[in-house]
Amino acid sequence: LTSVRKRNESAWLLPNDGTRTNHRLLADMARLDCDDEVDLVVVGCGAGGSVLTQRLARRGWRIVALDAGPFWEPDRDWVSDEAGAHDLYWNEPRVISGADPVALGNNNSGRGVGGSMVHFAGYAPRFHPSDFSTFSTDGVGADWPIRYEDLKGYYRQIEEELPVAGQSWPWGDPHRYPQSPHPIGGNGMAFVEGCRALGIEVRIGPVAIVNGRFGNRPHCIYRGFCLQGCKVNAKASPLITHIPDALAHGAEIRSDCMVARVEVDSQRRATGVTYFRDGAEYRQRARMVAVAAYSIETPRLLLNSACERFPDGLCNEFDQVGRYVMVQGAPQTAGRYDQEIRAYKAPPPEASTEAFYETDPGKDYRRGFSLQCVSPLPIAFAEHVAAQGHWGETMREYLRDFVHWATFGALCEFLPQADNRVTLATETDRHGLPVAHLNHSMCDNDRALVRAATQVMEEMHRAAGAAESITIERYAHLIGGCRMSGDAHSGVVDAQLRSFAIPNLYVVDGSVCPTQGSANPALTIMALAARAADYLAGSNRAWAA
Amino acid sequence: VGTTPGQTEPRFPGFDVTEQAHTWDATTARVVLKRLVPPSPMKFFTAEEIPTARALVDRLLAQDGEPRVPVLEEVDRRLAVGDGDGYRYSDMPDDATAWKKSIAGLDDDARAASGEAAFADLGRNRQMQIIERVRLDKGLWHGMPAQRVFGLWMRYAARAFYAHPWAWNEIGFGGPAYPRGYKNLGIDRREPFEVAEVHAADPIPWVERVEAARIRHEDALCHEGEPEGSESKQQTSNGANGPQPGTEQDSNHEAAVEDQLR
Repeated sequence: LTSVRKRNESAWLLPNDGTRTNHRLLADMARLDCDDEVDLVVVGCGAGGSVLTQRLARRGWRIVALDAGPFWEPDRDWVSDEAGAHDLYWNEPRVISGADPVALGNNNSGRGVGGSMVHFAGYAPRFHPSDFSTFSTDGVGADWPIRYEDLKGYYRQIEEELPVAGQSWPWGDPHRYPQSPHPIGGNGMAFVEGCRALGIEVRIGPVAIVNGRFGNRPHCIYRGFCLQGCKVNAKASPLITHIPDALAHGAEIRSDCMVARVEVDSQRRATGVTYFRDGAEYRQRARMVAVAAYSIETPRLLLNSACERFPDGLCNEFDQVGRYVMVQGAPQTAGRYDQEIRAYKAPPPEASTEAFYETDPGKDYRRGFSLQCVSPLPIAFAEHVAAQGHWGETMREYLRDFVHWATFGALCEFLPQADNRVTLATETDRHGLPVAHLNHSMCDNDRALVRAATQVMEEMHRAAGAAESITIERYAHLIGGCRMSGDAHSGVVDAQLRSFAIPNLYVVDGSVCPTQGSANPALTIMALAARAADYLAGSNRAWAA
Repeated sequence: VGTTPGQTEPRFPGFDVTEQAHTWDATTARVVLKRLVPPSPMKFFTAEEIPTARALVDRLLAQDGEPRVPVLEEVDRRLAVGDGDGYRYSDMPDDATAWKKSIAGLDDDARAASGEAAFADLGRNRQMQIIERVRLDKGLWHGMPAQRVFGLWMRYAARAFYAHPWAWNEIGFGGPAYPRGYKNLGIDRREPFEVAEVHAADPIPWVERVEAARIRHEDALCHEGEPEGSESKQQTSNGANGPQPGTEQDSNHEAAVEDQLR
């Protein structure tokens, strides 16, 4: 603990009196001047932007981090209620299309300080070493310009800082977790039983939920509303894992600011950003800009920043901005048990298996999927039932059985495709900025993975004793859109997340990932940001020297 | 005794999730209990649209009797303030326009099928049949992809219904749990306040129960409309006109809406 606290004091900066926000820290926050050329302006305070801000603030950088949404106070703003959590999402207009359009909003977007980790389930697995070279190894996807070993140390750091609880992990690069696994509820028990009966290796975790006290963060109370924002401060999000330490080291978090453009001078250098706050437009000057607005808004911002020098958008000379956006195929299969499951009475993330993660030479598809338990609350479960075509009385009857259903979810590694991309729509938002248009279609490999994963989940339910199972086809997570690569012709940023086109413009979020594995992306995004921060701090020293 | 929508045969007798409200944090209690307050007059749907829209959401959720969860009022609130879901299919108009067009489309379909009657004036079965045709239509319906229209209806209607404590009473959901938390995790384990089912099989085995509901639902879909018996006709006319039974309140309500529109 001492070494974690030396690196990141966030958990100790939170109140320990039963309230969840350190108001002193907020009141004392640095207020930097718009005309002051700060060292770094960060766009977006989610997994990437918050870690970058915290790391560099500790090294004395003067940083303004902007977020389009509010600075959340869990006591005041968050509720134990599905419909009441609607404000946690990016509900501004966006357009979707393609053969398999991806619904945006509640399931894959964030808004406000903490980003989508505020409402992520909490699963925090690492990517596997194979994820970094799928093209060389499996002939599909893309190779990263970095290797697993480049991230390994950062994975360990972030796992300590969240912290992550779970059993020792046998898959990918086998490793241990800093905290022991949580107890599981009815849903987790059905999942474990299904795996056991079929001989599938299974583990409890890995979840970024405190098991035991961590600094001033209390133990999880098993309230079940992880996806609605953790009112306990037990589940990790940057709002409590990195922002407090960033504030204590002089960073300014400027919330409710919608960034409109990244400004670039005639020397092809970024000079800062313009943003809207309360209807007025402001400019923040900066020596360096890091965009961390995720797979939809990061490409949108770069495209919306088109100027005379970059008429097709920033960093887009080779038509790479917005391409290779990925989602994971995330079918969920619910099974009906005679016993009461009451899945809502524990964190939705409990147990998982990565036994199907790697390419199986015996199958007609490449790459794989992971399986985890999930527990949809009533509104989400109604979507499951409606997806079967049920409505009216039949739907009500299914829902009356809510306490008897256990639900498993898959994350299938969909492959990067150039035409799955973000472009600008003709319609504009309330600031007059063109909104994002996401086009998405699946390829044959994607469909084969969804079929395979669904089949295993159905078999697990049968093996665990369920009489009926129902599957909803859906997607989860976003990755890609500004991918890192070895050269400017096939990506937007280099291995250090610096854009090829503009030397002081960085992209530090999930949009830089060339592939996504079958892992939930939050931990990897944070690890990438921590690594980028080390690089920036090092090169900064070099410049100073 | 916990209220359930339509006062269906209680599956969890006596379970009233709102009895736990004193254990909820104040922010959550405010948000949830507000749903039990009589809704404010509608702002988005016009007086002409309301009967059709109400009949639609009543059929989607089989709200055939009182008390009803005020689903349409919540849909109206969201559409009035533009509280969307963060995406629009490129081949669909925005949510507000799609709702308006689809309500008009239901009336067009009703008139085409029956001569003069509007959607709300049809019997329940006929309404269900028109809705089901939209759900099964793989093409365009009144200029919009039919299945996206059906999806939009369900998304708004189901969210409003299953956000309501009466629906939680119906399904046995334990509800908000902060700062209390849940203590008894695991299969067949309940909190002290959670209520056991009447009979684990309720008392008919689950498969038969769901099958019976399916058959009734499908019966309604293939039955050529009227008559349905006086009781359901009575409920239908309530369903078409307002959340409270009785024409006096209905006309008050509509007058209030008209006031709002002026």
